[in-house]
Formats: sequence, C-alpha cells, structure tokens
Amino acid sequence: MKAKKFKAVPLAILALIIVLIAASCSKSASQDPGKGTPSSSPSGTQSATASADDKTPITLTMFGADPNPNWENMESPVGKKITEITGVKLQMEYAIGDQKQKISLMAASGEYPDLIFAHGNENILVDAGAYLDLTDLIEKYGPNIKKLYGDYLSRLRWNGQDKSIYYLGSFGVNDKQWKPATGFELQHAVVKDLGYPKLKTLQDFENAIKTYKDKHPTIDGQPTIGLSLLADDWRYKITVTNPAVFSTGGPDDGEWWVDPETHKAKFHYTRPEEKEYFKWLNHMNAVGLLDKESFVQKYDQYNAKISSGRVIALADANWEYVDAERALRQAGKDDRMYGMYPITLREDIKYADFQSAGYSAGWGVGISKTAKDPVRAIKFLDWLASDEAQILNYWGIEGVHYKIENGKRVIPPEEMAKRVSDPEYGKKTGIGVFTYPFPQQGIGVLDPSGQTYTTDSLEQIKANYTAAEKDVLSHYGVEMWKDLYPPTESFPVKPWGAAWQINIPQNTDAAVIAQKCEDIVKKKVPQMILAKPGEFDRIWDEFMADLDKAGVHKMEDEFSKLLADKIKLWNE
Amino acid sequence: MGTEKRKPFLEVLIRQRYLFLMSFPFLAWLFVFSYVPIWGWTMAFQSFRPGKAFGEQKWVGFDNFIALFADERFYMVLRNTLGMSLLALLVGYTVPIIFALILNEVRHQLFKRSIQTITYLPHFVSWVIVAGLVSKMLSIEGIINEILMSLHIVNEPVQFMQKERWFWGIVTASDMWKETGWNSIIFLAAIIGIDPELHEAATVDGAGRFRRMWHITLPGIRPTIMVMLILSIGWLTSIGFEKQFLLGNPIVNDYAEVLDLYVLNYGIKVGRYSYGTAIGIFNSLVSIILLVISNAIFKRTTKESVI
Repeated sequence: MKAKKFKAVPLAILALIIVLIAASCSKSASQDPGKGTPSSSPSGTQSATASADDKTPITLTMFGADPNPNWENMESPVGKKITEITGVKLQMEYAIGDQKQKISLMAASGEYPDLIFAHGNENILVDAGAYLDLTDLIEKYGPNIKKLYGDYLSRLRWNGQDKSIYYLGSFGVNDKQWKPATGFELQHAVVKDLGYPKLKTLQDFENAIKTYKDKHPTIDGQPTIGLSLLADDWRYKITVTNPAVFSTGGPDDGEWWVDPETHKAKFHYTRPEEKEYFKWLNHMNAVGLLDKESFVQKYDQYNAKISSGRVIALADANWEYVDAERALRQAGKDDRMYGMYPITLREDIKYADFQSAGYSAGWGVGISKTAKDPVRAIKFLDWLASDEAQILNYWGIEGVHYKIENGKRVIPPEEMAKRVSDPEYGKKTGIGVFTYPFPQQGIGVLDPSGQTYTTDSLEQIKANYTAAEKDVLSHYGVEMWKDLYPPTESFPVKPWGAAWQINIPQNTDAAVIAQKCEDIVKKKVPQMILAKPGEFDRIWDEFMADLDKAGVHKMEDEFSKLLADKIKLWNE
Repeated sequence: MGTEKRKPFLEVLIRQRYLFLMSFPFLAWLFVFSYVPIWGWTMAFQSFRPGKAFGEQKWVGFDNFIALFADERFYMVLRNTLGMSLLALLVGYTVPIIFALILNEVRHQLFKRSIQTITYLPHFVSWVIVAGLVSKMLSIEGIINEILMSLHIVNEPVQFMQKERWFWGIVTASDMWKETGWNSIIFLAAIIGIDPELHEAATVDGAGRFRRMWHITLPGIRPTIMVMLILSIGWLTSIGFEKQFLLGNPIVNDYAEVLDLYVLNYGIKVGRYSYGTAIGIFNSLVSIILLVISNAIFKRTTKESVI
C-alpha cells in the first residue's frame, strides 16, 4: 500500500510534465499550419485567377521601426473603413528602444513579419535577404503604385549592382514644401516685446534672447530659459549638431555635407565654418543663455519645459517640438508658441531649408520573403496608393470628417478646430495613420478633380495660424513662415537626393568608423560647448584629431562612392 | 558513494527510474538553453553574415579577438563595468547584511514586517521609472538641490548628472535604494534558521545584543554569506546595461558605457555579430575564471564553497 502510494506521486508529476510538453508542442504545431494555409491554398489559387478584389479577411503582420504614437489597431473609423474595403487587418509591432538593434536581431533570427518598415536600416535586411523583390509584383498588381511614383519608380531600385525594388518609398511624392522643416525658433512674445527686430544672424538671435531674458527673468513665476537644446540619445543630431550645418548654409544631408560641384561627401563637422557655430553655442553657455540642462534632459523633460512656456528659444526641427507646441495652443498660450526664422552665421549665407532633394526613396515599407501572401500584401499597398485611399487617409470619411460643397472637399470649421488642437485627433479618427510610412501623394499634388490630395493648401495653412502668428508675420511683411526663407527656386535640385537616406553597408570598416565618429561627436560636442571659452579651441582641435584618428576620411571616401553610385543609378 | 558494494549503473538506473525520469526534463532544459547555444561561439571565429548557411560563412581565426583587444574603448568600458560592479558588490552586499542584522533585532513584529515590505517593494519598480525619478530628483530644480539650497550647503544648484566622476556613485546609490530590501530577504531567512537556544544560552552567559550579533548571528549566516559572495563574483562582468543606459547622457558617457552596451553599439548595431560573440566569450571566460579563483580561495580559507 505504502509503496504504491509513493509511486503515484512521481507518476502524477511525470504525467503532468508530459501533458504540458505535449500541449506546448501541439499548440505550436497547430499554429503553424494555421499561419501557413492562407498563403498555400485559398488566396494562392485565387490570385492565380487574378481576382483583383479579394476581400477575404486576412491579417498581415507588420513591423514598424519608427513607432507611430497614433497607431489605433485599426479600430478608428478610417482604420475600420480600410479593413472593410480591403479585408486586411494590420497587426503592428513597433520597435521599442533602438531600432537598429531590433532589426539586426530580426535579421539574425531570420523571422520576419509580412510587411517591414525598417526606417533607414533596410541595408541590414537586404544583406540578410529578407525582402522580396517587388518589381514583378508591381508590374502585375500595382497600377496605382506605378501612377503614384511615376518616373520616380526607378529611384526605388536598390543600387547599381542589385536593381531590385525592395520597398515602396515613404514621404510624399512630388511634395511641394510649404512649411519650413527646420529653423531657429523664438516665441512670438519675444519678437513682439522687442518690436519685431531684424532676425538674420546668430548675433541677432542672441540679442533677442538676451534682451528678453534680462527684461523678463521669470515667466509665470518660473525662471526664464534662454535657448534649450536636447541631447537625449540620437536626438542630439536634431537640435545640437544639425543646426551647425543649416546655419552655415548646408541643406539637410544628415551627418554629411556634400560638395555641390564634386559630389564628394564630408562628415559635416570637419567643415571649418561649423567651428564658428559651436563656438557661438559655447559663448551662449558662458553668458548663461543656454539651458544648463541641455545635455542632461530627456525628451519628456524637454517637452514638459516647452509646454510650460518658459523656453523662449529653440534650434529644433518642427516635428520634434510640435507636440509640445500644440499643448501650448490648447492651453491658450498662443504668445508662447514659436516662429521659425532662417538664422545663419553671417548675412551672406542662405538658409537652405527649402532646397529640393527631388524624390528620394530613402526608406519605406517592403514585403518580406516569408510573407504568407505577397500578392495580397502588394494589393494592399497598391490600394493604399490609390486615389480612394489617399483621400480617405488625408481627409477622412466623407460626411464625417469633411463634406463636399460645390464639388470641392471642405473641412467644416468645428472639425478643423479639432484637427489642429486635439493631439489625439489622429488616433481617434485614424486620419494620417496610414499615410507615412506608406506610399503618399505629395503636398500640393492635384487629383483628377483638380483638388489637392493632402488637406494642406496655402489657404488652409494660413487659416491655421493663430492671431499672434498672423500678427508677427504681418510685422515682418510676409504672409507665411516660408516667405521668410530663401525659396526653393533659388537653389538647384540636389542630384543625390537626401544624403541621410544613404546607408553605409553593415559589417564594413566604414560602418565601424561611423559608430566611432558618432561616439566622438557625442562626447566632444557637449564638452566643447560647456567648456570655458578659453578652452574651446583646444577641445575643438582634440575633436578634429580624434575624428582623424578614427578614420573619418576613409569613411568619407566610402560614402562618396555610395553617393556616386546612387547618382549614377538615378540618372540611368 | 564509493562503498564496497558498487552496484552496476544499469541496476541503479532501473531501481531509480522514476527519479531519473523526473530529472530528465530539467536536464533537457539545461542542455537546450545552456549547452546548445555554445555552438554559436563558432561565430566568433567567422565573419558572420546573417541569412547564410553555416558552410558559406568565412572563417577568420582570431581576428575578432585581436580587434577587440586593440580597441581602446574596450578597456574603457571594461573599467566602467568592473568599477560599477565592484561598487555594487561592495554596497549591494554589505548593506543588505547589515540591514538584515538590524531588522532582526527589531522586537515589534508589525513594525518589522512593514519595514521589510516597504524596503523590498522598489525591487519591482522598473529601471525606466527609477531612472526618471532619479534624474528628476537630481535636476537643477529637483528636490535634492532645493534641500541643499535651503540648508545653505551650496549656493547654486549642483549639476549632479553632469559630473562624470559621480556617475558610478549615482548608479550605485540608486541600485542600493532599489535592491537593499530584496537582497536582505535571503539573509533574514538564514537568520531565522539559527537555533534560538544559542541566543538564550548566550544571554544567560551575559552577552549583550552586539555580542550576540557578532558571535551568534553572523557566524550563523556565514555559509549563506559566502555562497552569495562567490555567486556574485561570478556575475561581475554581466551587470546589464539598463541603469547605465537610462541614467547616462553624452557628458558622462565615458564613465557610463558598459560592456553590454558596447556589444550592442559595436557588435550588433554595425552588423558585426562575430565581434559581439567574441566579447561574449571573453565575458564568459572572465566570469568562470573569477568564480573558480574565488571559490578556491574561500575553500582554502573558510571551507565554504559552491563547487
């Protein structure tokens, strides 16, 4: 009896273990064919018979390297409408933390979702053979894609050796630029208070900050902050180092500056002009006009500060501070919102924010080689490129988010008010959620009825301005912020597109040098800005020497080769 | 074990078949998750490209290790890793013991239990939140600076997060706040296991509280202390990177970057999987060596050991 009882316990445990193992095995076994079937039988045969509008429900998995805070699980009105029309439900997975690491791990594992948006890390996946070549699929199933990209379709090709199309480029095609993307920002209250001073050079900018800060040491009871920068992770490039290029007349080519004549690339810090800019930041810090926490604060702290209305000046890209600015607008602090000014080192330098790069398909959404149903995937992407989808995604649902008056799409004023002031508008309605990073018609492009696909129109932009904004603009004698900047026509189109979209191949010396240079920049730039003015030159020399030692010129040569390849590929 | 009647293995196997069967899943688990991955070490001797078959990879011998030992940055991150983990060992090890000793002397049960619960709760708070709290508290307008200013200890706010040399201290202090309570649990458990008669006898002999702590409690938990110490020494090079990554900023980076972060930046991020693996191997070897040495030393001096 006793022995039997003793045996029963381990036997029971053993049975339990076996059941558990069996359960976990059968679960994964039953999942796999479930995933596999849609590709193999039903839709496979259907697509062979070329049924153009296969609407059987399908879930496509997608990886997004760049998290979209408005992602609404396709539960919004627009999201539901898309599922209704296409039968597709997207299941998104976003990268948390460093995108490159996540994508590298994905490449190492060889397990991909159906759709991949790699946000500039496409090279890792191409190396690993993760993408499907879309050329034939577009030819067969992509009439709208062809129409949307037009001649630029050839720019989607990977490179001179491998002319496959791996992804559909993000960003509006044939975009007209109506809003400045970058600049030096001052609160409207500042320029108003100072009687709309001339704002052309860094000196003017500094004077404005200084005069206002001296006059108003506190805002709403808290100490006034002069110029605040942000160096949280990669964001240092946006507010700390990019303005060095812009204020010295360079267009946005990321970490690069490309010689317009020879097309040779330079790591932009090595340009002697930029020393002047960093010296100015050093000076700003020395006289107490630079936010002391510039290099320590995190993005949320930066946003919170801006939203409090006590940061009077920024040197940022519009998209980075736009959420904080919206909070100011919601709080009714229109005066504390920012105007964008093309400030340069000297008056003879042209701020090149409006220089056109043509369309460069730097990154976008691709289909993985393990996609369960590539035909459905490409059809989905093709539908997103269609007029119907573009209008849905930009304007919303007719009768709800806009109405048609005299054959024209019009957004009612109360809806417009929600659009501009509700930070959650995109999430609630789904408008704009399926534009970037998917194929997009550019701003200002006209549909067959002669209206713009995008809701942006010059009138609409102007109508969005606050009273304070209009007031400031009128005092500077212009109608729009873009009028303050040198216009697109005054620059040649860059034949290489945007250099920041060109990736250095993985696992090469140049890639390692790039990482080393990044570390040097991250270390030396804050150091030289926070140093005593007397030490600036010494640190700058160290900075240059360190870059030299890391092999910056070798990397520049490699990059120039990639650039030359691209120019050749595009102009074939 | 080695008695006169050595039974053949088969007989033992049959007789103890249930025990063997029961341990099998765990052996399999250990094999799959701890031994099979060692196969991946071969990557360190290749120039690994993802997506290619094993046979197609290029073999490069010790190139990755040579590159590793030639990189100055590697020594910097090694210094930071060892520096911070030694500090963590020192503080994160002695403080919980002292804390456990003191807490054990508290007579009021409810008070004792509340303190214990309150102190181990921070263990469950994510580093993301802790880092947010720490950087807010230490910012120019943070509470620490306000206290220092109102006490007139400093005249203007201290930029705690901008001082390179304070970074290790800040990390260690926040680690201490987060983990002291949690780490003391095992010592408290060991203390409870001590025979109360020893205390009674000592009290009769006229020993005071501190005498009893020193002569009874501490020797009583010595095996636990030793085992914990040896194990933590084995973990010296793998301290993770969350706290350093979350608390760090460009200014203090020279003191904040640790091995794991270096692996991510210079291994995985630039597609040098092989290089990352080489660092992993180095890491494991250092851990094993440290573990074996410390174990041998303790074995010789105190007769306590884990292996």
